[in-house]
Amino acid sequence: MKRVARLAVAGSSLWSDLLLESKVPADALDSFEAWFGVTKSEIKKVLSIAKSRGGEFSELYFQYKISNSINMEEGIIKETAETISLGVGIRVLAGEKTGYGYTNDLSFEAMKNAALTAAAIANEPGNNYIANLFVSKPNRQVADLNKSMAEIHFPDKLSLVEEANNGANKYDNRINKVRIMLGDSLEYVTIINSDGLFISDVRPQTRMIVISLAEKNGIRNSGLNSGGGRVGLDYFKKMCTPKEIGEKASEEAIILLDAKDAVAGEQPVVLGVGQSGVMIHEAVGHPLEADGNRKGTSIMSDKFGKKVAHDIVTIYEDPTIPNFRGSLNIDDEGMESKKTVLVENGKLVGYIQDKLSAKIMKMEATGNGRRQSYQFNPIPRMTNTVLAEGNSDPEEIIKSVKKGFYAKSYQGGQVEESGKFVFSVNLGYQIENGKLTYPLKNATLIGTNVQILNKVSMIGNDMGYFLGSCGKEGQSVPVTAGTPTLKIDRMTVGGRQ
Amino acid sequence: MSKMEKNIVELAESLVEYTTKKGADEVEVHIGQGWGFSVDVRNGEIEKLEEAGDKQIFIRLIKDKKTAIVDSSDFNKDTLYHLIINAIKRAEFSSPDPYAGLPEFDKSIEMADWKKLNIYDPSMDELSPEKKIEFAREIEKICLADQRISNSYGATFYDSSSETILVNSYGFCGTYKRTSCGAGVHLQAGGINNKVEAGWYDNSCYFKNLWQPEKIAQKAIHRVTRLMNPKKVKTQNVPVVLEPGVTRTILGFLYQCINGKAIYMKQSFLLDKIGESITSKGITIIDDGLLPGASGTKPFDEEGVPVRKNVVVDNGILKTYLTDEYSGRKLSVKSTGNASGANNFYLKNGNYEPEEMIKSVDNGLLLTGTMGQGTNAATGDFSKGVSGLWIENGEVIFPVAEAAVSGNLAQMLKDIVMVGNDLRFDRSITGPTVKIGEMTVSGL
Repeated sequence: MKRVARLAVAGSSLWSDLLLESKVPADALDSFEAWFGVTKSEIKKVLSIAKSRGGEFSELYFQYKISNSINMEEGIIKETAETISLGVGIRVLAGEKTGYGYTNDLSFEAMKNAALTAAAIANEPGNNYIANLFVSKPNRQVADLNKSMAEIHFPDKLSLVEEANNGANKYDNRINKVRIMLGDSLEYVTIINSDGLFISDVRPQTRMIVISLAEKNGIRNSGLNSGGGRVGLDYFKKMCTPKEIGEKASEEAIILLDAKDAVAGEQPVVLGVGQSGVMIHEAVGHPLEADGNRKGTSIMSDKFGKKVAHDIVTIYEDPTIPNFRGSLNIDDEGMESKKTVLVENGKLVGYIQDKLSAKIMKMEATGNGRRQSYQFNPIPRMTNTVLAEGNSDPEEIIKSVKKGFYAKSYQGGQVEESGKFVFSVNLGYQIENGKLTYPLKNATLIGTNVQILNKVSMIGNDMGYFLGSCGKEGQSVPVTAGTPTLKIDRMTVGGRQ
Repeated sequence: MSKMEKNIVELAESLVEYTTKKGADEVEVHIGQGWGFSVDVRNGEIEKLEEAGDKQIFIRLIKDKKTAIVDSSDFNKDTLYHLIINAIKRAEFSSPDPYAGLPEFDKSIEMADWKKLNIYDPSMDELSPEKKIEFAREIEKICLADQRISNSYGATFYDSSSETILVNSYGFCGTYKRTSCGAGVHLQAGGINNKVEAGWYDNSCYFKNLWQPEKIAQKAIHRVTRLMNPKKVKTQNVPVVLEPGVTRTILGFLYQCINGKAIYMKQSFLLDKIGESITSKGITIIDDGLLPGASGTKPFDEEGVPVRKNVVVDNGILKTYLTDEYSGRKLSVKSTGNASGANNFYLKNGNYEPEEMIKSVDNGLLLTGTMGQGTNAATGDFSKGVSGLWIENGEVIFPVAEAAVSGNLAQMLKDIVMVGNDLRFDRSITGPTVKIGEMTVSGL
């Protein structure tokens, strides 16, 4: 039986057909048993062994993920890959302590050994009690499972890549080299714990990235654009075509050919719509993750209920937005996802919680326990983090600046829990007398979160999103960050003198 | 060869045979298996204890000059067969690439014996979990005893061992083992609204070569306490002294610009610069995969090409790019054994004591760490957030707040004015303290 079940899972087309037939198929115990070749009685035994040394909570996280990728360079498909990630992570909690083991061998012996490893975090007489398993399924569907990328035939995916390649190359004859990566994955998880939770979820994820290199008189520079989310083929047909992604990457590369170095020093800064979501993610999101606050390492740890930003600033976390890259039906601890307001009219009203931190802080969990894969324990993470739109016309915001820096796109950002952050700007513009003038490159924006949040003086009535992957403690998870156009009265711009 | 090893080699060989039989022209099978332990201790208590074994199989096949890859942690044979057949089908749909292919196995090149490379510590097995937990606990205890330390992110000890098996259809069959261990701590100092943070982690292939808890703790305490009460500085162009950790960042950026893929994709400011002077005189930069006991040492790379010592920059002159088989073919050169990336990529020691280098600065910056991305290989542009100390009249006088440092790698390399004598091989990309003549520090 095991053999047949695994074979069924391995054939990606067969696997996705079955998944898509009933949308979330493994919402019954017997189908779980078929997928993973593990029986209910084995599960209960493993959960019980994990608690045998005195841990108060044990949990199994089963994952089966099929990923496909196509990599095109110079108009040639350089390689295609299919990746399977299979395994189970076993976690035991004892007070504030975590024991963790994992294995990609789903035999009872191997799972038992991993459970014994995790169990060793506690060292007291054990209470082996495991509640009756109650099989449930998520109440919402944030992903578009219609025409999922996992069921699209390979030649049709190739034509998406070719469309992007044509879009990028035909944009301008100075475009010299183009690289395209199209990746999609279909992930199936089942989370089972000693409190009796038994919940499964299916999570598709797709991303196309185009990098264009432009060359003129020996000067070269590159531009990047991407699209994707928990979407199906319709996204690339209706929402954001590969041609557009390719053209935008090339447009950025061409503009950068003539870009100058940013002017160094403190000045007014306008953060452009969408891409500047990086700033919300770094400057606000990370310092509000509960682990840093319960440990007192975050600058926000003494500011709950206090003013941390200008009155006009409201920021929330929302994994329930349909089809976004960071969207979730349930988190990786099996908790239903929900919207959480973090900052309301400048006041800190919420932390980003997982189960462990919420328990220690005696607060509600918010459904933000996430992990990269079965090889990692869950920690508090962002999903889709958004700064709510304001009242200002974006044009008016730029008009209000006599001389300053406008940030259009980013390589990324980084923050310390002290609140010190940087963003690396890929493309910016010099603002002169209320107008965007020539393009700028090689700039870093640097600041401290509370100070910068208080210097947000205008918020646009527009909205856009940055698609990214967020790294923390060696774990990478997909996220989205959104923001309207923002004006920061003064901020340090790293550039050249 | 142990029985388990033999089984894995047999599995790899049988998959090469199966893939060839199903129509692939060339195939390689790469299996990695490993075991690891880690403990985090915070405020004297264990925060997380983790131990696990894992394995991964990686297959690359080429059919009619078209490449497809399989990567799986599911070792079920039926699954693997299915994935191989899928890969062959994908290859059939792809377009041919005249440069695609595996390196031919050159039996005349003698492969280093991994047992002589000092990358496997058999005694690591005998370390008890209690000893490892105590190691981490001891580091943190010393740190927390210092009144200036206001909080701890926790101390960590980890160790791991791994085994690599590579078999290909040209008759290559290689295996090697390595061990690794490390320990360190990350700390905060200062009050709630003027926190600073830093830490120190040491790594080694051999447990006996790992720094002792006292030394790690003192280094971490020094690194964080010196950042307390920072001040903003004016925007200005000044000399900048890079500590070894920052030299590593710069060399990592340089590696990005001299690897073969960046060159054939023209994503590098060092395109067409072989034979030209790219750094100041006296600078030598090497990639050497055979350095005994170093963290990037291995007998062969991911494609089974024996690693070697490549002098990349010799007394200022760019001698070679670092290539894998594919980028080598694109550039009409042989693979340099860099399919796994940098092996031990380092800037050779100079003659100066780091203290002398600081003393030589009248007004400038000691860069102790950087933040953010801010590198562009196509242009060489470099811009990052700063952790650092201001130097006046040869003395460190205060830590710097909210500053960025910017330059261009092409100019920076030619403006290396002093090189320190403090190189260590604790990471696969590494270098000593370096002084750059002038960079822009952005502040007020």
